[in-house]
Amino acid sequence: MSSEAPEDRMRKFKYRGKDASMIRQHRIAVNVQLRKAKKDEQVLKRRNITNLCSHSASGEETKGVKLTLEEIISGVNASDPIICFQATQAARKMLSREKNPPLKRVVEAGLIPKLVEFLTSSLHPCLQFEAAWALTNIASGTSDQTRAVVEGGAVKPLVELLSSPNLIVCEQAVWALGNIAGDGAEFRDSVISSNAIPHLLALISSTTPITFLRNITWTLSNLCRNKNPYPCKKAVEQMLPVLSQLLQHQDNEVLSDTCWALSYLTESCIERIGQVVDMGVLPRLVQLMTSSELNILTPSLRTVGNIVTGSDHQTQLAIEAGILSVLPQLLLYPKSSIQKEAAWTLSNVAAGPQQHIQQLIDCNVLPPVLALLKNGEFKAQKEALWVVANFTNGGTVRQLIHLAYSGVLEPLVNLLTIPDAKFVVIILDIISFLLQAAEKLSKKECLCLLIEEPGGVDRIKILQFHENPHVALTAMNIIEKYFSEEEDSGPILQSLD
Amino acid sequence: MELSDANLQTLTEYLKKTLDPDPAIRRPAEKFLESVEGNQNYPLLLLTLLEKSQDNVIKVCASVTFKNYIKRNWRIVEDEPNKICEADRVAIKANIVHLMLSSPEQIQKQLSDAISIIGREDFPQKWPDLLTEMVNRFQSGDFHVINGVLRTAHSLFKRYRHEFKSNELWTEIKLVLDAFALPLTNLFKATIELCSTHANDASALRILFSSLILISKLFYSLNFQDLPEFFEDNMETWMNNFHTLLTLDNKLLQTDDEEEAGLLELLKSQICDNAALYAQKYDEEFQRYLPRFVRAIWNLLITTGQEVKYDLLVSNAIQFLASVCERPHYKNLFEDQNTLTSICEKVIVPNMEFRAADEEAFEDNSEEYIRRDLEGSDIDTRRRAACDLVRGLCKFFEGPVTGIFSGYVNSMLQEYAKNPSVNWKHKDAAIYLVTSLASKAQTQKHGITQANELVNLTEFFVNHILPDLKSANVNEFPVLKADGIKYIMIFRNQVPKEQLLVSVPLLINYLQAESIVVHTYAAHALERLFTMKGPNHATLFTAAEIAPFVEILLTNLFKALTLPGSSENEYIMKAIMRSFSLLQEAIIPYIPTLITQLTQKLLAVSKNPSKPHFNHYMFEAICLSIRITCKANPAAVVNFEEALFLVFTEILQNDVQEFIPYVFQVMSLLLETHKNDIPSSYMALFPHLLQPVLWERTGNIPALVRLLQAFLERGSNTIASAAADKIPGLLGVFQKLIASKANDHQGFYLLNSIIEHMPPESVDQYRKQIFILLFQRLQNSKTTKFIKSFLVFINLYCIKYGALALQEIFDGIQPKMFGMVLEKIIIPEIQKVSGNVEKKICAVGITKLLTECPPMMDTEYTKLWTPLLQSLIGLFELPEDDSIPDEEHFIDIEDTPGYQTAFSQLAFAGKKEHDPVGQMVTNPKIHLAQSLHKLSTACPGRVPSMVSTSLNAEALQYLQGYLQAASVTLL
Repeated sequence: MSSEAPEDRMRKFKYRGKDASMIRQHRIAVNVQLRKAKKDEQVLKRRNITNLCSHSASGEETKGVKLTLEEIISGVNASDPIICFQATQAARKMLSREKNPPLKRVVEAGLIPKLVEFLTSSLHPCLQFEAAWALTNIASGTSDQTRAVVEGGAVKPLVELLSSPNLIVCEQAVWALGNIAGDGAEFRDSVISSNAIPHLLALISSTTPITFLRNITWTLSNLCRNKNPYPCKKAVEQMLPVLSQLLQHQDNEVLSDTCWALSYLTESCIERIGQVVDMGVLPRLVQLMTSSELNILTPSLRTVGNIVTGSDHQTQLAIEAGILSVLPQLLLYPKSSIQKEAAWTLSNVAAGPQQHIQQLIDCNVLPPVLALLKNGEFKAQKEALWVVANFTNGGTVRQLIHLAYSGVLEPLVNLLTIPDAKFVVIILDIISFLLQAAEKLSKKECLCLLIEEPGGVDRIKILQFHENPHVALTAMNIIEKYFSEEEDSGPILQSLD
Repeated sequence: MELSDANLQTLTEYLKKTLDPDPAIRRPAEKFLESVEGNQNYPLLLLTLLEKSQDNVIKVCASVTFKNYIKRNWRIVEDEPNKICEADRVAIKANIVHLMLSSPEQIQKQLSDAISIIGREDFPQKWPDLLTEMVNRFQSGDFHVINGVLRTAHSLFKRYRHEFKSNELWTEIKLVLDAFALPLTNLFKATIELCSTHANDASALRILFSSLILISKLFYSLNFQDLPEFFEDNMETWMNNFHTLLTLDNKLLQTDDEEEAGLLELLKSQICDNAALYAQKYDEEFQRYLPRFVRAIWNLLITTGQEVKYDLLVSNAIQFLASVCERPHYKNLFEDQNTLTSICEKVIVPNMEFRAADEEAFEDNSEEYIRRDLEGSDIDTRRRAACDLVRGLCKFFEGPVTGIFSGYVNSMLQEYAKNPSVNWKHKDAAIYLVTSLASKAQTQKHGITQANELVNLTEFFVNHILPDLKSANVNEFPVLKADGIKYIMIFRNQVPKEQLLVSVPLLINYLQAESIVVHTYAAHALERLFTMKGPNHATLFTAAEIAPFVEILLTNLFKALTLPGSSENEYIMKAIMRSFSLLQEAIIPYIPTLITQLTQKLLAVSKNPSKPHFNHYMFEAICLSIRITCKANPAAVVNFEEALFLVFTEILQNDVQEFIPYVFQVMSLLLETHKNDIPSSYMALFPHLLQPVLWERTGNIPALVRLLQAFLERGSNTIASAAADKIPGLLGVFQKLIASKANDHQGFYLLNSIIEHMPPESVDQYRKQIFILLFQRLQNSKTTKFIKSFLVFINLYCIKYGALALQEIFDGIQPKMFGMVLEKIIIPEIQKVSGNVEKKICAVGITKLLTECPPMMDTEYTKLWTPLLQSLIGLFELPEDDSIPDEEHFIDIEDTPGYQTAFSQLAFAGKKEHDPVGQMVTNPKIHLAQSLHKLSTACPGRVPSMVSTSLNAEALQYLQGYLQAASVTLL
């Protein structure tokens, strides 16, 4: 899958100041997952099951013609183009039925080469259309089925169809290419290297019908999608100006797919993020993050989240575009996946230089982060915890004390019982950092109180016996250093001398 | 070793001998077995024996020996030889599962452990068929075998509950899930079906329920790291069945035992854990099941009895409710007034009751009772769980909950009033309820810090606590007495001072109570009250306020130490220490008696020191007696020496390790109290302090260094004249200490005292050697801590012996070395020095180098003059550089001695910060300005030009500020 839950990113934690670039969290592709794949992602492939043939270009409606697969095989091999058409249409209909389309059988029947051949019969646009549709639906299947379409040589003729004078044929070709590109990096690059992009872009004008435009946008988004490798720089350069225009469109689906496209591009590396940011898309993206449409909000937030994994400068631009005034609201969004992404984005801002951390304080981001840490769902809580972790890791002593007095300790202490050893260590480390900071400002006693009041000391004491030795050792160090018995004779001693 | 009958016979003989009670027979046999265990086939011989031996004892013994052998040898450690040959490894893995499953339970357990040890190393890569082999056994239908498999699986998978997430771990879990999740689910369903078919067969049910418990535990392990796709898809099956099991009861499974949890309880308890895991981590997916579980668990609580065997179940179940009720989106499950009333009435109140088991602990196991009740180690108890639930409910429903409970508290108090001797437990519950309702936040140091404003704590104190405490009989209703005292203790910050003051004599009176809990609580409460802070950082209670009770307080405290069970009661000893510290001069009249009692106690416990806290406070109390008395009358030190030295000598002679560091600290304190030259009694001890054996114990080092410093401070002349031959020994100690990264700073403490106090001529011949040693350590392992200490030392040396002497000693070791030290160490690192006195020493030392060292003015070192001045100004003005290189982060952990040997520093033996520069220089900045001025008068024109050409602008500005403040100018 193209985007894993943003959980296991590389993080620099223990060693302050070792390598500032390591602190940014990236979604790592080669991650073992136990969970179900994400449900709220953009679709990779779509089968065309709507009944478009009522206004089919052919004019000859062939309703009622139902052929068996054997009849189709012989039909496509006939010399009569009308028989070929009927057979192809029958095949397409089979592949378009809502339930159990026989993709596998059609592929095994060896129909693909014929279908590909029909793509080039420019004298029979109806046949081209039916063949393209059938191929679209085969390519919407498993990776092997898509592969069969590509290896059947479909890409090149499909790209040629992008210049077809027949709009419906052209649109079907766009769709087919979208499915092929959506399969993965390999076929995406086959489509790109067949020079599809300039042709696709040429189809976009102010008069392009909206359904067609949606199709093109979706196909473009698939051309931006997938990693190992990411799409090449040249392809991105070709697409970006159009994508940034599309970002100004009013149609929700176009906007959604455009944002997804940008989110894929910003997943890769600082250079790509730079290319995207240079188009000046940030203000519009921030605006779209306030959209009431979840399918626009999700990818625009994702894109912005990706951008702030970039350089400090890129993050600075995102801050200037106003993300910090939008994200606090998103932390309170009713859907926890949005809360999580918003917190993830903030965690990367918190991983930045101290000026950015100061911005978090100045824009009043901490209260909703802490509310999430306290009451959010586990996944969202974890991201909120990363905000706090990165904040304490990079903040100044004063910023840390500000955090401590903003009420971070109660939720932190409550989370010490979470069933996840790694996060327990992170919380313990945060607590140590805060204690160290407090010590420097002679506020140690006060902070110890804030930890003890919600029951923190009891919990840390128990963690000294945790089965994970790292947890136990970290807890022991805190208790020994800050909460050992003898501490409280100090003040009395002073009154002695 | 061949797999022969003869070898089996020999092995049997030796195994038999390892069971012999006589160590003369047992030890050699154990040695022998260890000596042959490296041979090929040894483990296979053991496996053969445990399978085929005729003698059951030998079978078991072989299985234990086998497990221990695996534990010691299976892991392949890098750079160490493989201790088990490959053929044996393969053979073991091929046979062990089958062997385990066909063995009787006692042996099965050992082999199951062995499998999990092997599994930890080899599974999954090097033991690919283990899972299939195990899963295949599920089909067997034989639940003895199935439980064996489940138990092994549990020991293999339970580490998923505490290990860090990693790709490697998750790959393994994925593999396990692929092979195991479906068969486990099928087994779960099948087992539940069998439970209904065998609903009337007790012995079958017992086996089936053991399986269900293990299955539920496996569920927990497999779902711990993240929610696996399989379990998300099959949540319906699992949760519906878990829910059914929670509500299930079967008379055949009920046990008569009151203490030990039965199978039903264990299963339900695990299911509560599973539900809590899902509620906490997978809320989104679990949401639709949650209300059902809340209801089931709550019904479970209502119907579960008071017996100890249900404790774990009840506390798990309550904790589940407590964690759910504070979540905003489940608030609605609880907000109905009837629901709240029912939870309060049927879940919380019954679980707060003082049970027979509590009463037993109160009387017979008071130490444990106190630990649970006072120190918060009551995490798993019903009372604690109920208390947490109250707190959870109060988050959203403070008003209604307080209202419901107020009614309860009143009715319970009325019950009590009707017939106290029968109904005293009602009052106990009432007090507990008030406490848990009122306390929102609590700390050891302050008691309750945030209280529920809806509860009038003072009123309750006056009406219901004080009257009990005023009762004439200190031994009546001890539990209520303890409750009352605890109330004072934890609400000390809420109850007004006048009321507390009224309580003080009452508490003193309760020091005489027979009940250990009661007199311990009284001591603890007094100690806590005496620590409380009033305005201006002073203690809340003044010595004058407590003065009327001094005599009775001290008498009762020491008498309490003679009560049965409290001879080494740390709370009482701590209260003694705290009383001394609060009362100060007021205790002087009693010191002769007090010190006698303390020394007697010391003598008694030194026979077998067993209570570290008690001992610590006892030494603190001794130190306080000395300080307080000698502050008023320094000559009294002799009396203490007379009283203490006899016991000290005995402790030193008997080498009572726990006490030696304390003894040295008290001696340091005594020695420092002497105003004149060092008494001969101390000098006699001096040579003994240098014995290497004493320095080998890490815990002794700080105390010994401290004591040697006291010797040097008070007796340097005596040492130089009467014990000059001991100086090499002293330096030997220094050499040993600076060689260690952990103790080098102690070495510098000693060295600094030598430099500061010893007459120069007495150490003259060693000086160069000292510097050479320091350089060797710098070259071999330079750490930040060492550099910091080194900088302080050379500057102290410069102050003491002069700047020129410092330059000469460096350059005497190697030409141009002085320049290197300046350039590579002093200038770049001086910013790291921490501590006010340390910084002052460095400032004055560097000032001397700048202004009193001719080579700095007219040799190649001159180019370092301005950079040195610049770094000195940096030391004054810039924030301290507290960065530590990455590679040093873990030094503390690696080099810190183990926990037990850690040094226990006595707060009241502490010495005042010592400033060797003292009044000689009060303001180092002014001193710098004046010294520069003096230098510039000696060579007019040069200083201003050096300063103005290369000092940076900011530093220059600071310098001008110093000059102005000192009203001098540079010529």
